Amino acid sequence: MEYDENGVSIVSNDFKKEIFEEAKKDFRYEEYVRGCLNCGVCTGGCPPHRFFDFSPRMVLQNCKSNDPALVWGMMDEYIWACFQCFTCAMICPFLNNPGGVIAILREISVRRGFESAKKVLKPYSRVLLKLTAYGNQLSPDMIQPDFFPDWGPHIGYASQDLPLKRKAIPMPTLQVTNLAWDVAPEAMKELYTIFEEAGVFKIIEVVDPSLYEIIQDIVDDVRSE
Amino acid sequence: MTIEIRNRLGLADVKSDFRHIAGRKIENIHNELLELEAKGEIKVIHITDEHKPIEAETLFGWKKKIPTTKLWHHKSCGQCGNIPGYPVSLLWFMNKFGTEYVDERNQTSCTAWNYHGSATSNPVGLAAVAVRNWHRSYELGLFPLIHCATSFGDYKEMRNLLIENKELRDEVRRIMHKIGRELVIPEEIVHYSEWVHVMRFEIAKLRKYDLSNIITTVHPACHCYKMIPEDCIYDKDIYAGKRTAVSTGVALALGAQVADYSTWYDCCGFGFRHILTEREASRSFVMDRKIRPMVREANSDVCITQDTGCTTTLDKNQWIGKAMGYTEQVPVMADVMFAALVCGADVYKIVQLQWHTTDWRPLCEKIGIDWKKSEEEYNAYLEKLRAGEKPENLYEYA
Repeated sequence: MEYDENGVSIVSNDFKKEIFEEAKKDFRYEEYVRGCLNCGVCTGGCPPHRFFDFSPRMVLQNCKSNDPALVWGMMDEYIWACFQCFTCAMICPFLNNPGGVIAILREISVRRGFESAKKVLKPYSRVLLKLTAYGNQLSPDMIQPDFFPDWGPHIGYASQDLPLKRKAIPMPTLQVTNLAWDVAPEAMKELYTIFEEAGVFKIIEVVDPSLYEIIQDIVDDVRSE
Repeated sequence: MTIEIRNRLGLADVKSDFRHIAGRKIENIHNELLELEAKGEIKVIHITDEHKPIEAETLFGWKKKIPTTKLWHHKSCGQCGNIPGYPVSLLWFMNKFGTEYVDERNQTSCTAWNYHGSATSNPVGLAAVAVRNWHRSYELGLFPLIHCATSFGDYKEMRNLLIENKELRDEVRRIMHKIGRELVIPEEIVHYSEWVHVMRFEIAKLRKYDLSNIITTVHPACHCYKMIPEDCIYDKDIYAGKRTAVSTGVALALGAQVADYSTWYDCCGFGFRHILTEREASRSFVMDRKIRPMVREANSDVCITQDTGCTTTLDKNQWIGKAMGYTEQVPVMADVMFAALVCGADVYKIVQLQWHTTDWRPLCEKIGIDWKKSEEEYNAYLEKLRAGEKPENLYEYA
């Protein structure tokens, strides 16, 4: 993909059309994009709309316009502002689902390895590693003062004597520090097969090749145990 | 069976029997589920008398059976890594009631937090993970109880997609075959807060403190009641059936005041990706849209939640607000933690409030709970563990 002097991607109209067609081919698309009265109730209730240049009404209107350029115009940081809370879907009188459309567009963005997706997800790689390699997303040892200084001095509590404090939790499955719970290796192996067969590993390879290599090393280790 | 609706939020011209007569139609997915089972396409994890179900009504007045025993705990990756008192309080109650359950290692995250944050998955991946975990409970003869709101929302969505799409079913069945499992779907997707809701009057019998002077504000989780909203519990005696009843129901049953506030419908600001990598958005949202209204409008003593992400976001982001002049503070905990607290569960060993950031001690003191004694006992317990004693667990685990 080519970029102009401002780092904005230069793409042909054919490519924009290809992306829009890919979105419309998703089996969820017609369920999510129905009639839109442009009433704006979705945007009125949208939490990120209060803090970002983001409007679920525009997401729907752009899709309904059938103009690939308008849909392409959302494929940068715009789609990543959404909180995925689905307030829009719940309050829409026509049962549109702008949050669902966002999910479809994001999937395309990561599947194709768009630079905007790579940039947005770069700080997310530690979480992605934990989830994909071990089957858990958040672990007690991730809650460290240097990672979460804005959560206040009490965060230090969790990092001191962590193994002992976890042992004091009266659920044996939780008495670990490096995972939310002690995931059984057989469960991890099944998850790897699912990720392979569903194309999840392939997506990660596209969006973050270095991370993919690290994950594959861990997968190989767990499988060989 | 179809039900016609007009306004899913229930803010305008809603009837108290929560049945609406105009607008689009929503199919009750359960009929199709049973049809697929009859054709041999899928297996269904049924809720039987063995599960001692209690019925509740959902948004459109449909009946939802909530199993109360023989449960498989499907844990939350955020909750268990960060708010351990949340599952511990739940199991503490289940032990009190003699509930049969299994908490085990053989399960993975639903992976939906990651999906909503990064999109590095797809419906096939999400549905296959869901079926994998459902099947694990199925082979144990138990019913899955979902701890996390995002897992709950995701699993409701995946169930619907699987029922509605043969191609997805075929693909997931192919993947399940590779891991030696079958395509099973639970009769209902049940969130832990729904178990708490239907058990609330039994829970209230265990109450040890008077809560008549305690003002709670409830923050319901978006993925509980905004994703597949027709599957969420509503009760005409709670908010006149206009808002989801879970969490509010148990607070009322315990005798606490439940105050309204203007941003009840807002999310917590978690944002899935934002809470980890764009936290200024989450912080601002927490203080401006949730904590400040709860305190200024409702003079809230405690914020009651029902989900991992909400509890974390609302609790952890108050401290930094002080730097910008936000002096309002309110402790945050899940409904089941609050219930355990007022039913006499140990503040440290069971409710595990020591992991929370926003100060919860004034709440304990207002209720009349001696948290200092609990702290001393907990510190002594830690020393015993340090010396090599075995931990006191809620269940034996091989």
